[in-house]
Amino acid sequence: MNLTVNGVTHEIESSPLTTLLDVLREELGITGAKAGCHQGGCGACTVLIDGEPRRSCLMPVGYANGGEITTVEGLGTVDDLSPIQQAFVHHYAAQCGFCTSGMMLAGQSYIAHGGSDDAEAIQKALGGHVCRCTGYSKIIDAVAAAARGDSFDLTETAIGKHTTMATGGAE
Amino acid sequence: MKVVGARIPRYDGVAHVTGRTTYVDDVRVPGTLWVKALRSPHHHAGITRLDTQAAEEIPGVHAVITWQDVPLLEYGHLSALGIPADEPLLAKDEVRYKGQPIALVAADDWEIAAEAVSRIDIDFEERPAMLDVRQAFDPESPEIHREGNWYKHFEDEMDRRQIRKGDIEWAFEHADTIVQGVYRPAAIEHAPIETQTCQVVPEASGRLTIYSCTQALYFSMGVVAAHLQVPLNKLKFVGGTTGGGFGGKVDTATETMCALLAMKSGKPVKWRWTREEEFLCSSTRAPWHMELADAVTKDGWILGRKMLTLHDAGAYSRFSPYGLTKHSFHHTGAYTIPNLQFDGYVVYTNRTPTTAMRGFGVTSVSFATETHMSRIADVLGIDPIEIRLKNANRIGDTSPNGIVYTDPSTVSTIQTMAEAIGHELPADYRTMTSEPRTGALLPEHLVAQTANPEEH
Amino acid sequence: MVMDAATEVLMPSSEDEAIAAFGDGTDVLVVGGGTIVVPELTYRRLQPSRALMLGDAGLSGIEKDGSRVTIGAMTPVQELVEMPAPLGPCAANVADIEVRSQATVGGNLCAGEGSEAPRGDLQGAFLAVGATARSAAGGDVTEQPLEEFLAKRGERLLLSVSFEEPAAGAFAGLDRPHTHDYTALAVSGARAADGTLRLAATGAGSWGARLPSAEAAAGDPAAAGEAALEDVSPHDDALASAWYRTKVLPVLVRRVLADLKEPA
Repeated sequence: MNLTVNGVTHEIESSPLTTLLDVLREELGITGAKAGCHQGGCGACTVLIDGEPRRSCLMPVGYANGGEITTVEGLGTVDDLSPIQQAFVHHYAAQCGFCTSGMMLAGQSYIAHGGSDDAEAIQKALGGHVCRCTGYSKIIDAVAAAARGDSFDLTETAIGKHTTMATGGAE
Repeated sequence: MKVVGARIPRYDGVAHVTGRTTYVDDVRVPGTLWVKALRSPHHHAGITRLDTQAAEEIPGVHAVITWQDVPLLEYGHLSALGIPADEPLLAKDEVRYKGQPIALVAADDWEIAAEAVSRIDIDFEERPAMLDVRQAFDPESPEIHREGNWYKHFEDEMDRRQIRKGDIEWAFEHADTIVQGVYRPAAIEHAPIETQTCQVVPEASGRLTIYSCTQALYFSMGVVAAHLQVPLNKLKFVGGTTGGGFGGKVDTATETMCALLAMKSGKPVKWRWTREEEFLCSSTRAPWHMELADAVTKDGWILGRKMLTLHDAGAYSRFSPYGLTKHSFHHTGAYTIPNLQFDGYVVYTNRTPTTAMRGFGVTSVSFATETHMSRIADVLGIDPIEIRLKNANRIGDTSPNGIVYTDPSTVSTIQTMAEAIGHELPADYRTMTSEPRTGALLPEHLVAQTANPEEH
Repeated sequence: MVMDAATEVLMPSSEDEAIAAFGDGTDVLVVGGGTIVVPELTYRRLQPSRALMLGDAGLSGIEKDGSRVTIGAMTPVQELVEMPAPLGPCAANVADIEVRSQATVGGNLCAGEGSEAPRGDLQGAFLAVGATARSAAGGDVTEQPLEEFLAKRGERLLLSVSFEEPAAGAFAGLDRPHTHDYTALAVSGARAADGTLRLAATGAGSWGARLPSAEAAAGDPAAAGEAALEDVSPHDDALASAWYRTKVLPVLVRRVLADLKEPA
């Protein structure tokens, strides 16, 4: 069977019963989706299939046949961050970073479906995703910022790349 | 000042959001073997037979290790703080907690590793388990640790952490009432989203490259070197990236064993704990049992405190004596109590060994102290914020371990909090400061301490 | 943790092919959405020689014929969320939106007993609307009351469930502060167009159960709540204790009956 990931089609050798997560990570070496629990309980494995967020650790790869899969690597690059990635950088929404891929992909889909910056709606959409570091509020802020279409400037600093609000003013 | 108050980027922020951060499980080394552990199914048992021959003979199994493969089986992680070694890297004659690792297998894949683990020949002789710290002192209880059931802090001198300050008998004689409470916070599992994972690569040079999720890179390096009895320069630790730790990834729980497997097989190995292993077998924040009895006056002064702490260390010491020491130094919390009787025990049980977790040793006593303050306020019919302000640490007050406070901010913090929650304080409480006690804030029983803080 | 190639995978592309592949159900593991079964495979608790993946068999979809609703077994649970009570709120209570979108009605109804938590969140709701189950075994297709199917659910391949839209429905469940979990305890109720009242509970035993004693006493909600305890045998598990369930069940029964009394 074939699997299209971030626009590239791969021929898959694993059994159709192998999880999509394990095919991505082990067979294809695409490691952005993480193995947090391998039982659908944490959301670290979430990827988009035709724009919809799905738990890749629960999905036999046979069911992903023909779908367009987006992983975090497909959202944007270091020099061309997507709005949601910029928002997560600006709002310090990633600490250890392990839940970040799943959070952003779920957030991206929420926004693509017309989701607003309402905190409660964001919480509901991302409700299946667990974060042990941030306490969630900065993640919600980041998704809200991206939903609003806040824009950022990406600058190089002595320490690393950083975003500032393009329109100035307070964060 | 260029940094304070400025918006500083996280140097790993962009890597995190682009999926470029490399966690241990993302490291790809061709030919890596899969590791699986044989773990104790019993809380407490003797091992009467351990034979790995059948497992070793399975095609696709490249190494099996037991206690016999470990150059230095027991190494005290905090031996620099005087805590002696008591925990074997792999179980030898007995197991003392459910989940304790006994043997490890490195094989071509999951299936073979699991098959090998199931073919390890092992016999146990179950022993009675002690799972409740309160039973440790009962002469009828089983002895589960070679030191007895609690850590002997000072060899033959003292079997606990003890603090005595002032005159506790005087305090209890002069109290208007005694307020008691028992506080028992349960164990907390760190539950990082990344489970413990380790990858070790044996290099042609004879060195080992160890990809670790440890929170304490140099510390873990020292532990591994000590168990392996090799010089530090034989090890190359690659780390600094952890998918959450919170104190639970300081135990160096995987690195040494993976190093031994890599050395024995001559191949790279990876050990990734399942979520179940992470919950059941990884160390947790300790459960605590704390009993407080405060001698208080009806106008809200705390004359003295008696406290007994039983810290559940689980089966082995690890860092528990250190945690209890910190706990003891903070047992009055943000408040000044001049007469103290504190006794704290590190108690062994047949549970998973406990470890650090955010605020190691102190979160427990803060919980107990604050809850107890509210309880005292309730018993005396005094406003819970006013009672805190009255007893709050001020310049010239001393801590349980004799530190003189020079710049406490307790008073201003409580006042700010009261305002934030809309709690109106009377004028004299609103204008309190952290300045040394005088007048109404200097009752008879605090005079001696504030006059000679160095001696208290 | 790549899956062992020793498991033969069958992926039928029609209902007939699925029925043939299932045979008499021996030695074949049915995979619906995978949300329950895949972790069992991942952790090797299940090691089937044959796996029947139903994703392409055309068993998904909701059809309405007048007041009769038929839901294909492979319909995602998420598609029930907007339906009226009890099915809608019952489905909305299951896990989170991602898992609901992968989980299927059939997989949920046919879940085997779980040791840590009750399975089959939707069983109570479908029992309350008097659903029938269309299933196959050994090539023979039968439609039967859902209760009968559930008693033998390991032996037959569920194809669809049907029910008459009720005149009124209600659902009351133990609310969890977060998502992910199976339903700890819930009561579903419905009054059919012909006036028949049905009550059913999920999480008060090994699988969904009708509450006939409560139905008989429905005129007095307090009495009905207590009577419901005669119809169930709750147990301790990771989500709640049996004791707690016996305390809460009468409350949920009373709430459902109160909601059913309100005009639609």
